[in-house]
Amino acid sequence: MATTAEHFQAHAEEHHHDHKPGFFARWFMSTNHKDIGTMYLIFAIFAGIIGGAVSGVMRAELAAPGIQYLQYISPWVGDDPSNFNATLHLWNVLITAHGLIMVFFMVMPAIIGGFGNWFVPIMIGAPDMAFPRMNNISFWLTVAGFCSLMFSAFVPGGTGMGAGTGWTVYAPLSTTGSPGPAVDFGIFALHLSGAGSIMGAINFITTIFNMRAPGMTMHKMPLFVWSVLVTAFLLLLSLPVLAAAITMLLTDRNFGTTFFDPSGGGDPILYQHLFWFFGHPEVYIMILPGFGIISQIISTFSKKPVFGYLGMAYAMVAIGVVGFIVWAHHMYATGLSVNTKMYFTAATMVIAVPTGIKIFSWIATMWGGSIEFKSPMVWAIGFIFLFTVGGVTGVVLANGGVDDVLHDTYYVVAHFHYVLSLGAVTALFAGFYYWFPKMSGKMHSEFLANLHFAVFFVGVNMIFFPMHFLGLQGMPRRYPDYAEAYTYWNHIATIGYMIMASSLVIWFVNIIYAFTAGKQAEDNYWGEGATTLEWTLSSPPPFHQFETLPVIEEAAHH
Amino acid sequence: MTGQISAVERARQSNRKVATVALSIALGMLGLGYASVPLYRIFCQVTGYGGTTRRVDIAQAATVKDSGREMRVRFDANVARDMPWEFKPLQRTDTVSIGARDMALFWAKNDSNQTVTGTASFNVEPEQAAKYFNKIQCFCFTEQTLKPGEEVRMPVLYYIDPAILDDPDNKDVAEITLSYTFHVTSIGDAKTLDQNKPGG
Amino acid sequence: MTSGKHARALGNSLKALGLSLASFLTIAAVPAIAQDAAAGSYTPMKPTEGVGMPVPEGIGLQDQYSKIGEYGAWIHNDVLLPIITIITLLVLVLLIVVMVRFNRRANPVASKTSHNTVIEVIWTLVPVLILIGIAVPSIDLIAKQYKPAPKGALTIKVTGNQWFWTYGYPDNGDFEVVSNMLNVPGQPTINNGVREVGSEPWDGPSHLEVDNRMVVPAGEPIRLQVTAADVIHSFAVPSLWFKLDAVPGRINEKVLMIEKPGVYYGQCSELCGAKHGYMPIAVEALPRDKYDAWVLTHAGGVIDGQKAAGTDTDYLPGEQPAGAAPAADASAAAAEAE
Repeated sequence: MATTAEHFQAHAEEHHHDHKPGFFARWFMSTNHKDIGTMYLIFAIFAGIIGGAVSGVMRAELAAPGIQYLQYISPWVGDDPSNFNATLHLWNVLITAHGLIMVFFMVMPAIIGGFGNWFVPIMIGAPDMAFPRMNNISFWLTVAGFCSLMFSAFVPGGTGMGAGTGWTVYAPLSTTGSPGPAVDFGIFALHLSGAGSIMGAINFITTIFNMRAPGMTMHKMPLFVWSVLVTAFLLLLSLPVLAAAITMLLTDRNFGTTFFDPSGGGDPILYQHLFWFFGHPEVYIMILPGFGIISQIISTFSKKPVFGYLGMAYAMVAIGVVGFIVWAHHMYATGLSVNTKMYFTAATMVIAVPTGIKIFSWIATMWGGSIEFKSPMVWAIGFIFLFTVGGVTGVVLANGGVDDVLHDTYYVVAHFHYVLSLGAVTALFAGFYYWFPKMSGKMHSEFLANLHFAVFFVGVNMIFFPMHFLGLQGMPRRYPDYAEAYTYWNHIATIGYMIMASSLVIWFVNIIYAFTAGKQAEDNYWGEGATTLEWTLSSPPPFHQFETLPVIEEAAHH
Repeated sequence: MTGQISAVERARQSNRKVATVALSIALGMLGLGYASVPLYRIFCQVTGYGGTTRRVDIAQAATVKDSGREMRVRFDANVARDMPWEFKPLQRTDTVSIGARDMALFWAKNDSNQTVTGTASFNVEPEQAAKYFNKIQCFCFTEQTLKPGEEVRMPVLYYIDPAILDDPDNKDVAEITLSYTFHVTSIGDAKTLDQNKPGG
Repeated sequence: MTSGKHARALGNSLKALGLSLASFLTIAAVPAIAQDAAAGSYTPMKPTEGVGMPVPEGIGLQDQYSKIGEYGAWIHNDVLLPIITIITLLVLVLLIVVMVRFNRRANPVASKTSHNTVIEVIWTLVPVLILIGIAVPSIDLIAKQYKPAPKGALTIKVTGNQWFWTYGYPDNGDFEVVSNMLNVPGQPTINNGVREVGSEPWDGPSHLEVDNRMVVPAGEPIRLQVTAADVIHSFAVPSLWFKLDAVPGRINEKVLMIEKPGVYYGQCSELCGAKHGYMPIAVEALPRDKYDAWVLTHAGGVIDGQKAAGTDTDYLPGEQPAGAAPAADASAAAAEAE
């Protein structure tokens, strides 16, 4: 096992210069959960850079009223820059791409594919995932989906190149409203990554149910494992519904069916019901593993077991269950009947209860602790605050009557970026700094990690907090241009973007620092508070861990 | 050694079992996704959800008694963007006796130089009144075909179920709107019906 | 479903608490005033700065000009906003307290407490009570928004198109107004043949002003019916607390009642293709007499053929060329009503 550290290093170098035999087999036909996890993380970073660059174009365009930059970008995808409608269509392509990339190809691959693959087997004392080869297929399906989405930007999609339907792909804009193959490729991208995610979900469920080490009962599993288990069930139950819905879109587009077309007795509103039946659990799919990561970190650096472990685990189960019966709160403006609207208002507000339990339990975990402000803890505390801000605006939006003025405005954009961009992504960075030395064997710079947090925190709040003001003032989302009155806060948000982007430079510098000058990481570099099984292994862990299964003692956890 | 192999084999089988269950859950949800189309249609027909009206036959209609209470009914007509027809109600509003049978006339004209077949989608607002709106006969039950320049008067035979008077959700409803939208089913010779994509 | 009943009960209890909005939507129908049939006249109203439009650097809701809007703004500004601010500050304070009191230096030895049933019950039940407190006015607001239009309310039909709005006036002779965004000086042409914003003295803000506004009477409930001709659009006016999707193949209906005359701007609020950002809504609310005068400027415009209860306005195709009824129809209809 002494060779494993060299092993990892050798491969890190392989990226740069040589193609030794074994490189292809290891990275393209990989069946090792840690290698696949690493590939997911690298892929997510790559996709995130593209998705982030797209939002950079969007923020630049929105810095002032009028169309300033889109006509210079539109030739890149093959549009005629003198065709103003095609230029405006490009805007819709950008918002669609940003949404789909960040949801399906950045957050999900990173948090489930990356951290889930890396640490779920280790935390439950399993040697690998239950189906290592299916794990590999899941990853490459996600990559194929991403390629299909990228390709869609360069083929005709109606008014211009690319799919400009929004990530929600509402009919009939996505059917009769978008001739050309772009939307088909977009739908295909969702099919591929969806199939990959369903396979991943089956893999996680089987692994967690069947491959726990002796003594690792369900109620002893670390909360991160619980969060991935709940997430896997959400994927399993919601993604097939999306698959059905977008397949029906595809046949409506190409084969003359009328599932969502009123001319043949279909109803476009049904598509929205199906989409959001998937779409609402989807937002929990993105945030629940983040909850799990935060729970591990808070416990580690408070040197205390998680407060109310069972409440925390079942709060996640409750959020998952309730998440399936609140979908129509995304559809308050579609003309729902009065009773429907009242029901969904009440049901949606219920979610605030288990979410509140989680927030308060994290604080209670810290209460009485001996807190060490290492970088993951700094990110985790930032997460709790930012997620609270995003959560409370969710309570505002839950009210069907109030949503009549906020629906599809920047208030909604602010809300879901506070829970995702500032929630899920902050949790991702917290997890990154928590586990990076474990995965790479190299210590990052704590100073740079904290600096990264500080700059990121200022940046994202500057981007997204003013969006509440814009939304309350009535600025609709998905607009490339706006009335003069909205200029001030849009300008602030664009400056915020630049600050946030510079924090990512600090992050990359930190990664480079770790690989070039970082100290060798110890097995348990966070000390006594870190009690889960990954800290019993070397950093990085051996290629095949737990050849002899660990036995979990009574009260080893929580 | 053999014990170990069988343990590995047992674990494999057990994994396959869990995966099979999980996969069938996923397939079940996929099926449910498709099944939602007919289920949603039935749900709307039964509950009036989405403003879906009821369809009744003459025998059922004959059992309903005139309540003597009045309700105002408004008629609304639209055509989808690609539909080359004019389409109008011949009366904007009508005051009807709840429970009594009434007839409304719509008028359509094909302004194009091609034969056009169309179907009408419909709904009732306010939505809570839809389940009491009964159609005995309607041009929306079937496709309509108009030759170039042809015009037609199309009747809707309907009544409002007196049960609406007992429904607290409908106590404030002063006027019910019945709205139709004509969509293209096919343009050109009826024989080419299959070659034309609907909707357009 | 019984939630409707609950809502009414909750609404009633709310009234008992002195939060009554008893006069809500009960404006008596304004009696139809016979107009001089030839008196059609209209000059667009100049919008008031900051009314019915966003304000620069604004951070709150737009001022509201409907009863529903006032109630909704009260729920947002005086119920929801204080509650969420307090919760957020509470979490922030708790975080600061634990960071100060329980850091490694202040508290070197961590406690091992991981359960406290009392506190867990409290932080489950208190949020439940807060949410019930929010739900009472919130559900009541929904109930009020869905109150159907009263007898004799004027019906106006809104149709979303790629990328403009059309407004139909079925009760006023069934004429139709096509409404396009005004072009913005220095920017590529949005709508061919439409003038630039600022070329008339009554023009409001760029990106929001249109060539032909949706003119409506102020102070009376209007039955607004919304549909679309191609893809889904959404008819939204923030200062009137109004947002309703325009779905092809069906109509949606809701009551709009504007308290006082003015121009109120809104924008399409459902992604509908390339020029989604360029199909604003401008609602001009006029006193009834001025509204009637506006109606008469349109070919075939008649003053509320529907005003007197029981009148059926019948049209025949021969007499009814698209969108224009002869003025005689109105008098005939009026005579029939006697």
